[in-house]
Amino acid sequence: MTAAIAAQGLGKRYRRTWALADCTLSVPAGHVVGLVGPNGAGKTTLLGLATGMLAPSTGTIEVLGGRPGSGRAQLARVGYLAQGAPVYAGLSVADHLRLGARLNPGWDAGPARSRIERLDLDPRQKAGTLSGGQRAQLALALAIAKRPQLLVLDEPVASLDPLARREFLQDLMEATADQDLSVVLSSHLITDIERVCDYLIVLAGSRVVAAGPAEELLATHHLLSGPRRDPASLPGGVQVISASHTDVQSTLLVRSTGPVLDPAWTVSEVGLEDLVLAYMSQAAGRGRRNHLEVQR
Amino acid sequence: MIWLTWRQFRAQAVTAAAALAAFAILLAATGPRLASLYAASGLSGCHPARCADLAGGWLTQLNIGHTYFMLYEFTIAVILLAPAVTGLFWGAPLIAGELETGTAALAWNQSVTRTWWLAAKLAVGGMAAMAVTEGLSLMQAWWAAPIGRAVGLGATGTFFAMSRFNSLAFASHGITPLGYAAFGYALGVTAGALTRRAVPAMAVTLAIFAAAQIAMPLWIRPNLLPAEHAVVSVTSLRTITLQGGGGPHSSQFHLGTENLPGQPGAWILSAGTVNAAGEATTTAPAPCTTRQSEESTHAFIECLASQGIRESVAYQPASRYWAFQWTETAIYLAVALALSGYCFWRLSRRLT
Repeated sequence: MTAAIAAQGLGKRYRRTWALADCTLSVPAGHVVGLVGPNGAGKTTLLGLATGMLAPSTGTIEVLGGRPGSGRAQLARVGYLAQGAPVYAGLSVADHLRLGARLNPGWDAGPARSRIERLDLDPRQKAGTLSGGQRAQLALALAIAKRPQLLVLDEPVASLDPLARREFLQDLMEATADQDLSVVLSSHLITDIERVCDYLIVLAGSRVVAAGPAEELLATHHLLSGPRRDPASLPGGVQVISASHTDVQSTLLVRSTGPVLDPAWTVSEVGLEDLVLAYMSQAAGRGRRNHLEVQR
Repeated sequence: MIWLTWRQFRAQAVTAAAALAAFAILLAATGPRLASLYAASGLSGCHPARCADLAGGWLTQLNIGHTYFMLYEFTIAVILLAPAVTGLFWGAPLIAGELETGTAALAWNQSVTRTWWLAAKLAVGGMAAMAVTEGLSLMQAWWAAPIGRAVGLGATGTFFAMSRFNSLAFASHGITPLGYAAFGYALGVTAGALTRRAVPAMAVTLAIFAAAQIAMPLWIRPNLLPAEHAVVSVTSLRTITLQGGGGPHSSQFHLGTENLPGQPGAWILSAGTVNAAGEATTTAPAPCTTRQSEESTHAFIECLASQGIRESVAYQPASRYWAFQWTETAIYLAVALALSGYCFWRLSRRLT
């Protein structure tokens, strides 16, 4: 089966700064993929590259086996809901549905219309007067009715209130259940990701720091706490992601394929939020160190 | 794609249609009166020997009346500005507006390639801009036909009596408006693709378009075809501009002309006096710097002629009018195509 997204040494540079660097990953199809990371980590850049809105500076990316944005067929297979859910302010809701129907051979008019009806949107209303949530729903309806094989959503719920967020994600889940659809969804709200995603990509400092099925990631990461000691004393194969120390106690978040058997440590399961935060702070720490080296 | 293009262009199309209609009404309301003035002037069927003076007199009357003078100037200005306006308000926001509002991500992620998207947009907007500008030009040409006929009879010496090569007249009639409109629109689109923001794109479009429209008549158009040269008697010139000359204190003079005997409607590129040896001269010969010459231009010119001074003129014959029209239009269309090609390339490779 072809991967939903396969990247090799992928990078994107804006003038001197790398928005995304050295990204190699392979995301199998059929997942709801959560893309998490702090602001400026490169999430939007990665999604832009996946949809062909951006051209890579280095490396290659293939989406469903094709070059992103390379032609009608490729465009038809990928739906994209960009950040802020842009719609044409001057066109009505009905115009947007007509736009989708005219521009997409695989357009599925029925569900699109019923989705709009369920949202109580007046088809004659101009899209510019819609609320942020309604706009996001309209844009999602457009992206889903196109019947893509991969749906790419960039911060789709960022501007929504908690209730609208729940409805939006519910809608999304229904759509993925109905059709054979892979989803890549970026967000910095880890609880949302936790609820809907079964595959995770953690981006920090323009790099992919972790990627894999959510369960597998959770199973291979552990939270260790115990009397204060040097993290270097841990056995091989255990990689420390983050460490915090008080005078008497150390708390470590480690990655280890096998169980940690040292009785000195109390081992507990790690939550997704802790895991992501650990990777983020690790990347932030690395960034600071680099910065200091440059200054010296 | 055609549907979306049309749907998004609808408001502009309505505005353009309204502007064309207003222009048509203005001309339709004033045109018949101009035609009846011409009919009453007795210019049709005039005696060939008197036609030129009669036509000149009629045009002078129109000039004095002011209404038609102002209408003529206004309509020409509208035609000359139309390509800039369409370039600014239709061309510049085409790509820049989509990028600014983020809707580019919506437009370019339907099952339609950017190339096809741009092709539809360029075709509809560009054709509309060309149609509007040429429509204005044709309407104005119909309206101003009596003035054109009077000028054709050899009238000289009034504002209306400018040759068809006059930079205002040339740029507002014939097929050149098509070229300008295509160029203005493509320029706007390109500026938008480069600046990615509509307002700066509009400023850039205006600056470059204005520069092109100034450079063209001043430096490029006169050289599109090699000029003809003629040396004629100074007494044969019908309209002259004389600076200095005659009198004991100023022997320096310059004698210009706006028309050339035997070449009605020719475009005079440069004119100046030459001596019997054919060398350019601006110094009046001693016999001509007398009190009598100072008081009478006619006597001065006669004196110059008797001293063997003649007028050398570089010009483009009137028969080349359409050659110039086609050449200039082709140049603008070619630039418009090149700019469009660049937009296609940029959109498919480098954008966002």
